Amino acid sequence: MTHQLGRVVSQILGRHFGEIVQQVGNDLFMYGSKTIGMIVKTTGLPRTQVIESLRTLLKFDLATFEADATVEYKLNSENILLLIRYPRYLLQMKSKYGSEAEMIVEELLQQASCTATVLLVTVMNKYKDDKEKNLNIVNLKDTFISLATAGYIQQAPVAELKDGSEIPILVPVATIVPDLDVRDLMQAMTSNLADCKDNTYWKVNYDRFHLDFRDDMMIKAITRRIDENAGELMRLMLEQMYLSSSAWAVESSPAAACDLRDLALRVHDRPLLHAHVDHYLKVLEENGASFIRRAGDAGGGQYVVRTKRAAEQLLEALLDHTVTERLGSKAARIFRLIRSKKYIEEEDIQKNAMLPNKECKELTYKLLEEHLISVQPMRKAASAGGSAKAIYLYHVKLYDAAHAARELCLRAAHNVSRVSSATRAAHARLLDKQRRVRSIVHGMRVRGEPQQNIDDVLETLTPPELSAVSGAERRLRALSAAELELDRALFLISCYFAFPR
Amino acid sequence: MAGRGRGNGKSLTHEQLQALGITRADNAPQILAPPPLFPKLEVKPLPLNCDAATDYMVIVKDQFIEYLHESPAYVKANTRTDGIERYSDKYKLLALDAKKGKVLDCVWANMPPELRPHGGRARTTTRKRKLDDPIEIAKRLQTLEKKESQEDTAMETNENEEEVKKEDEDNEELLDEQEQEEEIDDGTDYANNYFDNGEDYEDEDDALDDGPVY
Repeated sequence: MTHQLGRVVSQILGRHFGEIVQQVGNDLFMYGSKTIGMIVKTTGLPRTQVIESLRTLLKFDLATFEADATVEYKLNSENILLLIRYPRYLLQMKSKYGSEAEMIVEELLQQASCTATVLLVTVMNKYKDDKEKNLNIVNLKDTFISLATAGYIQQAPVAELKDGSEIPILVPVATIVPDLDVRDLMQAMTSNLADCKDNTYWKVNYDRFHLDFRDDMMIKAITRRIDENAGELMRLMLEQMYLSSSAWAVESSPAAACDLRDLALRVHDRPLLHAHVDHYLKVLEENGASFIRRAGDAGGGQYVVRTKRAAEQLLEALLDHTVTERLGSKAARIFRLIRSKKYIEEEDIQKNAMLPNKECKELTYKLLEEHLISVQPMRKAASAGGSAKAIYLYHVKLYDAAHAARELCLRAAHNVSRVSSATRAAHARLLDKQRRVRSIVHGMRVRGEPQQNIDDVLETLTPPELSAVSGAERRLRALSAAELELDRALFLISCYFAFPR
Repeated sequence: MAGRGRGNGKSLTHEQLQALGITRADNAPQILAPPPLFPKLEVKPLPLNCDAATDYMVIVKDQFIEYLHESPAYVKANTRTDGIERYSDKYKLLALDAKKGKVLDCVWANMPPELRPHGGRARTTTRKRKLDDPIEIAKRLQTLEKKESQEDTAMETNENEEEVKKEDEDNEELLDEQEQEEEIDDGTDYANNYFDNGEDYEDEDDALDDGPVY
């Protein structure tokens, strides 16, 4: 709950839900938890609008409420940060399960929570006329069920009423994979959606996606460090891990080498992996950034996946890059040196980093200023001379450094979002005009009007306008891409925080 | 021995400062101007990688945001007009009306009652309280009777007409009182948003019939 987090949360709310929700969100962020009356008082907004904003926030799971004598609302800032991760979820779905799964998840993300019948029928109706997609309700239903089985979607919490009170309490329920009848779905498609009796609500399970992202990150790291076969082996080990231990365990329970060997042999088109499984295991163990560890020798060797250690290693790599890009390679050298020596005195930094005295000091202080390294003073007992000498030991506290990096990311995310909204506001008229021209032209093309008329409409955007608008669009695109990159860094850091300290 | 120990106003002694590398000669000249609002970038940032995946994500993101802006989840302020009639007003109002009626589609059972539509406090009981009171009713009838007698002497009119008029007055008074009550109730202009006597709507309709406003 930092200042930077508040700023970025406010920007995201403003971008997605408009100024009024942003104001309400700001108010909730500042004061922790509040009742409607208090929000009305401090924001000065009409009560109806506050109610509408709260509905929006609650619907998208961006706020929670606590039932007491009065209902108090609380902002869920972590979930608000996830709003910028939505495209990544969809990309994951599209690349892993194909476009049908993507459509289902997209619809579910838009609706926030929805019954299976309504969800499937809406998707079906939306793309009914699209011949390319060639949707089929049976396939769609099967995709839905496989997504539910894999845990990408889960049942939404159910409201329970305490006796005597009207205020519901949301209780999470275990997901039961539904048994959907195709005939019912067909019937629902033709009849009115409002009167279907399905009342099990579903929502997207973000955590399942995050596991996927984490695994991808680990596999990619190994692939880059060693080669693709090693990456494949890492994937197999992670699969094995999910069978025997909890997903966010610090270390997996040991897997026997012979099991892994069997699994590796079943993978097709990896002849090198087949031939050298043992070598790859050895290389992974010795040179795989300590992602895995040999836990015992029984059964030809037992291996453990060290997920927490992996998260730390990835975070360290991120910090190294941050330092390199912000302060230069010399600062990165100092940073690495301090980390490798654990505790080091300033003079020793100068000696070991082999940098001129003054430059070294300057860079060290800059690192200290950015909170990437910390200093620990050690006082010696006062000697007879009277001058109490203290030694200052520099070291890297990974937890604090991760917080500093997170702050940097949040600040950057806020700036990006701010700049893009400013750009959008500055070119609002032109962007609007371009959109209108595009929709008109599209309509004309569909109707098959002559090219002459279409050109006439296109020419309403003059060349200078066109260049201005394309420049603005390019900038907005770059800013969006930057936001997505920042989200990747934020995800990596949150992975580190997911494990107990 | 005075300079020893903690406190004494100074955090670091001269020797300690020297050990940290801060000496008198090194001190930069004092800068009095505030730092620039947008400091120059010291290092150029890395170029963003542009692959198909990023393009896809950017497009999906824009679509999602556009969807939200169209949906009732996007809360809009009540538009204020500057009193100038414009040709485009008609279309803007039409677009607004299309969105206005929509309420966010939520699972109402999961919401606190105060957020549900038409939920919350029972307003009607407080509104009619004054009329339920028998003393109040008697008072009101008395005043109305007085008025009647006064008006009777003042001008001669048909009795039927008079009755109609009276009823109208009564209704108006009632309405006024209700409005006031509501305002006191809330302390906000909540009630004002809902209050629409339908006159504006009629005007708008007429304008449409007459043809466009030039």
